[in-house]
Amino acid sequence: MKTITLLLIAASALFGAQYSVIISKKADVGALSAQQIRDIFLQKRHSLGNQKIIPLNLVGQEASRIAFENDVLGMGRDRLNAYWVKQHFQGITPPITQPSHESIKAFVQNVEGSIGYIPSSMADGSVKVIYEF
Amino acid sequence: MSLKLPFSSLLLLFISTYAHAYELGRGAQINDHINVGGYFSSEFEAGRSDETFTLDDVAVMAYGDINPMISYLAEFEAVGFYHKNLSDGSDGGSQKFHAERLYGDLWMSDDFNIRFGKQITPIGYWNMEPINVLRDTTSNPLYSMLLFPKFLTGIDINGYVPNTEGLRYHLFAQKNHDLDEEYINIPNTHFYGFAVEKEFSMEWNGGGSVGEYITKTNQRTRFLQANVKYDDTKWQLVSEALLAKSDYNSREDDYTLSGYVQAMYHYMPEHAVVGRIEHYNDHFSDYKDTIITLGYSYRPLYPVSLKGEYQWHSQNEENRALFSFSVLF
Repeated sequence: MKTITLLLIAASALFGAQYSVIISKKADVGALSAQQIRDIFLQKRHSLGNQKIIPLNLVGQEASRIAFENDVLGMGRDRLNAYWVKQHFQGITPPITQPSHESIKAFVQNVEGSIGYIPSSMADGSVKVIYEF
Repeated sequence: MSLKLPFSSLLLLFISTYAHAYELGRGAQINDHINVGGYFSSEFEAGRSDETFTLDDVAVMAYGDINPMISYLAEFEAVGFYHKNLSDGSDGGSQKFHAERLYGDLWMSDDFNIRFGKQITPIGYWNMEPINVLRDTTSNPLYSMLLFPKFLTGIDINGYVPNTEGLRYHLFAQKNHDLDEEYINIPNTHFYGFAVEKEFSMEWNGGGSVGEYITKTNQRTRFLQANVKYDDTKWQLVSEALLAKSDYNSREDDYTLSGYVQAMYHYMPEHAVVGRIEHYNDHFSDYKDTIITLGYSYRPLYPVSLKGEYQWHSQNEENRALFSFSVLF
């Protein structure tokens, strides 16, 4: 697991990934595909293996959220809005939001199974990087 | 099961008082366990013989998580809330609220979830998003209304098929009467089925189902259904088809075949043109129709829908124009 994290950080330095998707160090979860992250943030899947997952979004329209929606979810704002309106009818709500990258990182550090995105420059040994974009 | 009108008024008052934050079309979160919302639609229809206005669906709903494994959804709806015939001036309507959905979910894993209670039958696309505001035309294809029960009062075991990507299954069963027989298209006593859906890519997905139901009049019908969809935001193509074989007490078995192909083009995010061709052929009742629909959809916001369409029927006297306004809140 440590090797994967180091490889992702090295890849980030080489190829300039701006943001990292992070999870608690305690979680028994390795690197994920964009499809897996997409399914989690669209509330289609709620677990990874035996680990229940809590996705965290950044509130508002920060650059990292827009990049995450476009690059990882693969959905523009209009399509995403239509998706959540339809999910409301199905009784499904969007991921909870946090006011800042700092609070996302703190949440991930303290709540096992929570998953969020922060600038790669903020990723350190206190969290596990599982995807970069 | 029914509720009277003041329930919805009380709910709206409750939303305005207690909701933490509200965004149109997303419902309102009252607390960690209760989200509330609802929808309504109104329709204007101009046929050959008369013109009518209908405040058709007025519905309220509540849902939430009781704990990380158990969630619920309750929805009550009044259909045909108010109706006025503009040609002869007559009016009427029903303000009686029916239980449209009333179910719980027991989540064991992403591969194994049990939904129990009254729920939408998990077949295809149209049936899963049946309300006016989520549709792209005011009218429904006959496929979605006449061939299988739209609701199930029973259990649906569902989830992802283990060790696959994007392949979901539903195994559903009902062996009792519907929770509210006044409010179902085909009152039945038995309903069993199996459905799968596969996400091939961001744009493409498809699925199919098989099932059997027995109506209150003891007509046994078995069906085979398939659906496919392409959606790249600008273009959307949807097609569904169903073949049903019914055993009648009074005469020999007969087949019904129905399906539609619908295309929609968004030339702006809020504006779209829609075209649909559908075919319906019921050998038993000898009812056969081919319908072409051309329509226009305008959504100033996604949960606010203004639509207009014209239908050409091979049964010529049924040509009509439809307009609707609907909101999800």
